[in-house]
Amino acid sequence: MIEFVAVHKFFGSLAALTDVNAEVNRGEVVVVCGPSGSGKSTLIRTVNRLEEIQSGSVLFEGKDVHAKLGGTALNRLRSRIGFVFQSFNLFPHLSALDNVMLSPMKVNGVRRSDARETALRLLDRVGLSAKAQNYPAQLSGGQQQRVAIARALAMEPPAMLFDEPTSALDPEMVGEVLSVMRGLARDGMTMMCVTHEMNFARDVADRVWFMDAGRVLETGAPVDFFRSPQHPRAQRFLSDLHSR
Amino acid sequence: MSLLPSMIEIVRDNWLLLLVGQYPNGPLGGIAATLILSVLGIALAFPLSVAMALASLSPWRALRWPVMAMVYITRGVPLLLIILWVYFVLPLLIGHSVPAFATMLVTLVGYEAAFLSEIVRAGIHALPKGQMDAARALGHSRLGAMRYVILPQALFNMIPSILSQFVSTVKETTLGYIINVPELTFAAGQINNRLLTKPFEVYFILAISYFIVCWTLTQAINMVERRITARRTAGVAAASALPATAASASGA
Repeated sequence: MIEFVAVHKFFGSLAALTDVNAEVNRGEVVVVCGPSGSGKSTLIRTVNRLEEIQSGSVLFEGKDVHAKLGGTALNRLRSRIGFVFQSFNLFPHLSALDNVMLSPMKVNGVRRSDARETALRLLDRVGLSAKAQNYPAQLSGGQQQRVAIARALAMEPPAMLFDEPTSALDPEMVGEVLSVMRGLARDGMTMMCVTHEMNFARDVADRVWFMDAGRVLETGAPVDFFRSPQHPRAQRFLSDLHSR
Repeated sequence: MSLLPSMIEIVRDNWLLLLVGQYPNGPLGGIAATLILSVLGIALAFPLSVAMALASLSPWRALRWPVMAMVYITRGVPLLLIILWVYFVLPLLIGHSVPAFATMLVTLVGYEAAFLSEIVRAGIHALPKGQMDAARALGHSRLGAMRYVILPQALFNMIPSILSQFVSTVKETTLGYIINVPELTFAAGQINNRLLTKPFEVYFILAISYFIVCWTLTQAINMVERRITARRTAGVAAASALPATAASASGA
């Protein structure tokens, strides 16, 4: 469903992504892990073209996201890819409810009453129906991130991308966000998730991609990856994690 | 010292001229004209400045360059020269004479729009980049993201700057005097010409009049600024204060 084909990306002369070839299948949960600066966030941001690439292609549902596209075609593609940011990026001038309702109405032309109904259902799903009228500034980090997930789900995307969704959270709030993500995975959502939460990777992921220095070095099942990583860099990464 | 009684006498004899000029027997002037000129100037300049800010942030050069040129010209050329230029050149270009008030208004709108557009641009730049990323990731077009996500926040943050630009505009309308726009300074000039011997009193009255108008406006700005700060710092206050912007954003 999401396919990287010989993807290269440079920041100036620095290679951010080097020859990435990998695929996320429909209904699959892929966790991308690796040391900081290894290109995980850059990689996930190429899927909806928040980052440009220099060569290769990224396919979403068979369509090349980085082809020469008219603006509307790209907007339509993006509206079908749910994206959750590390820093939530809720719209602070809108209530939680309006955050979730805005894009279905303005991008997809959904009627206000329908958008409202969907938004309330989604806020309920992430456990925040009581906070619908609150503004982002009145919500905790964990609550904001759950609203952000509801906002992404409101566009009814066939796949969801998570860019370190719990890295900016206080430890006691990580659980509530992960449990929403576990629920999504259980419901069969296609997910690509950059995270340092190795327990989440172990329990929920169908496959773990390990990245270092802009390359995807391993793409195995979590059991294999955690028990017997093949690449020396992955072995060192995991032993560093354990020794913490 | 006979200054104060003499000033009071001048005001008593001429208050109507200072307030509305020769209206209804002539064109509207005085403080009324000054305020109308300033309000119209900012009110027309504001939407223009938003359009100019969007153009200057646009990826297309053809939109960016004319705006940047206009901004650099207004920064580098005194307003008085622009007024004179419009006053003498515009009639030649369009082939018939333009009333002084309209000349002044057009000049002010262009001038203020250029300045405001820089304020708007700075306001847009000051928002976290993640706001645009989030809007685009949800499928909004650039303009849609601007309209529903970026501008409602940026414009709200800029209210104090826009208001202080309004105070500057009030003071800049005095330059209309040079092309005989019948505003407050012009009215004072008329009084001075008639009295001949009391320039100090007349222009002292003029200075006090401008001071009262601008001081009142500045106080109003400080109040608005305090409120905005209070709303930002107190999350609960933000909830009760923001629905107006929220409604206009989602209802637009």
